[in-house]
Amino acid sequence: MAVFLQSLISGILIGGVYALIGIGLTLIFGVMRVINFGHGDILMVGMYLTYILFTFAGIDPFVSVLISFPLMFLFGGFLQKVFINRVLNAVAQNQILLTIGLGLIMSNTVMLIFTSDYKIITTSYSSSTIQVGGGVSVSWPLLVSFLITAVITAVLYWFLLKTDTGQAIRATAQDREAAQLMGINVKRMSIIAFGLGSALAGTAGALISPTYYIFPQVGSVFTLKAFVITVLGGMGSVVGATLGGVLIGITESMSAAYISSGWKDVVVFVLFLLVLLLKPSGLMGKSRT
Amino acid sequence: MMKTLPRAAAFLVIVGGLLALPRYVDNPYALHMMILLFLSISQGESWNILGGYTGQHSVGHAAYFGVGAYTTMMLLQAKGIAPWFGVWAGVAAVIVVALVIGSICFRLRGPYFVLASIAVAEIMRLSAINLTGLTNGAEGILVTDLPPFKIGERVVTDFMTKVPFYYLGLALALLTLLVTWGIERSKLGYYFQAIREDQDAAHSLGIPIARYKNIGLVISAVLTALAGSFYGIYVGFVDPPTVLGLDLSVQIMLIAIIGGMGTLYGPVLGSLVLVPLSEALRSNLITDLLVKSGLVSADSRTGQFLKENLAHAHVLLYGILVVLVILFMPEGIMGFVKKLASRRRKEAV
Repeated sequence: MAVFLQSLISGILIGGVYALIGIGLTLIFGVMRVINFGHGDILMVGMYLTYILFTFAGIDPFVSVLISFPLMFLFGGFLQKVFINRVLNAVAQNQILLTIGLGLIMSNTVMLIFTSDYKIITTSYSSSTIQVGGGVSVSWPLLVSFLITAVITAVLYWFLLKTDTGQAIRATAQDREAAQLMGINVKRMSIIAFGLGSALAGTAGALISPTYYIFPQVGSVFTLKAFVITVLGGMGSVVGATLGGVLIGITESMSAAYISSGWKDVVVFVLFLLVLLLKPSGLMGKSRT
Repeated sequence: MMKTLPRAAAFLVIVGGLLALPRYVDNPYALHMMILLFLSISQGESWNILGGYTGQHSVGHAAYFGVGAYTTMMLLQAKGIAPWFGVWAGVAAVIVVALVIGSICFRLRGPYFVLASIAVAEIMRLSAINLTGLTNGAEGILVTDLPPFKIGERVVTDFMTKVPFYYLGLALALLTLLVTWGIERSKLGYYFQAIREDQDAAHSLGIPIARYKNIGLVISAVLTALAGSFYGIYVGFVDPPTVLGLDLSVQIMLIAIIGGMGTLYGPVLGSLVLVPLSEALRSNLITDLLVKSGLVSADSRTGQFLKENLAHAHVLLYGILVVLVILFMPEGIMGFVKKLASRRRKEAV
């Protein structure tokens, strides 16, 4: 029972960070219908940003979110304005390839600068835990990152539901042409959406950096995870991505506990294929017929 | 028709030249480059059959390359079965894998197919890491010496030089080109292209799309597996990231895309661009050139930095090339050249 509870709690906590990654990808997909294959690499850039701030300025990874969020927003907006906006009407495979190419450029540029050595951020709390009782303990950095995730997700929901810009973004996602006819500047919304998506991925990178190895190729793992999460939740659905993130987190930690940590990713991918086959529209997605 | 004859003649002259090349060139590095080129052409042509002609953009071709390479190497290491027999076991394994993948992935379209193809390849890679008993896990399989290839009692080659690999590679590249050429001219090719252009229209014309997608996949996968087996015995080492990784899937796809998808010579062009460029970066030729031309001094910090890091970052070039190709010549080099040619023709009129 203790093992079960322990895995459930760690799963939910890491799932919160996964949700951030998934929400970012799903926002970008919802507004632009572009699947961002460079999503994990954007997260990786966020990790290195945190690493730089920590090593050279001594800023705590969790505090550095305040700096990396706006910086990553600008970075994403730049990518959208300079590259992605040009292929919005191109065939799907060219959009995919462009984002793959951008991802390769990001990971290899980082490798050129920092080499492919593994970096770690060691904080005083990196391995500290809180005993909850019943033999269950909670990792302190995971708990803090989960709380930050929860706050960011709440603010994001508020932004998308209540502000004018948020509503314009949702309108663009619903029907690009109709939104344009209503006088919404869809190109600007695309830039904001990609910026937000990147900022969320970068923040996720910052939040996991105290507990994860930092290296240039770390992105592809998270790109794949982001796909699984968004497809599970339903492409384009923010609520779905939130749920999907937590579900994948739980699936991972459960299969690590009950099968083996080597096979946990296989379980996730098999689940992914099953979702694609049985309900490609995902948990919260509407089937597009 | 008028064009066919000179083209066939040019093709034969080039093949003749390539056949004769090892007689005059015995520099192992030059032969190595040619072998890499042949390997790249085979990979690109194989992907092109499914991705270029049938329009199913698989980002999981490493699965077939890796299964081919692993089966051959596993049989060679564990059972001592010679690769020219083992390769057929690899082909059989890949046909099974491809049909399973096809039955899952071809129910999905567009981006969902791409995602499913990646997931399947990742499952393969993770399985190779975890099934340590079979695959030796993350350490990979190393086989340094190959048994001599005999016909009857006569030893044809003992694989001590690069020359036998050169001819094997050439044969493989020609095989993939011939298969593609054959498909382009047959009913099969028209079915493939009909599916690529409009799946629903093809379906309503009575083309059984699932069957033909699977045929395209199996042909493409078998050729990719042959390339994988060849890679395995040439390099003598396979491990999960190099023969089953996502990077490999992307690289295979890029060869065709940079050259021009759905064209016979697109992957050849792509290989001619990519192989020399990435080799030049890997072996520090570019840094040496910069130093020799006096742009960067060898002892300066920039020079040192380039020397140490540029070799590791040859994939950076792939990234830059993809972005440039997608933005400025979305039909690849082939399409770009054709467009230029037709524009010139119009201006002449």
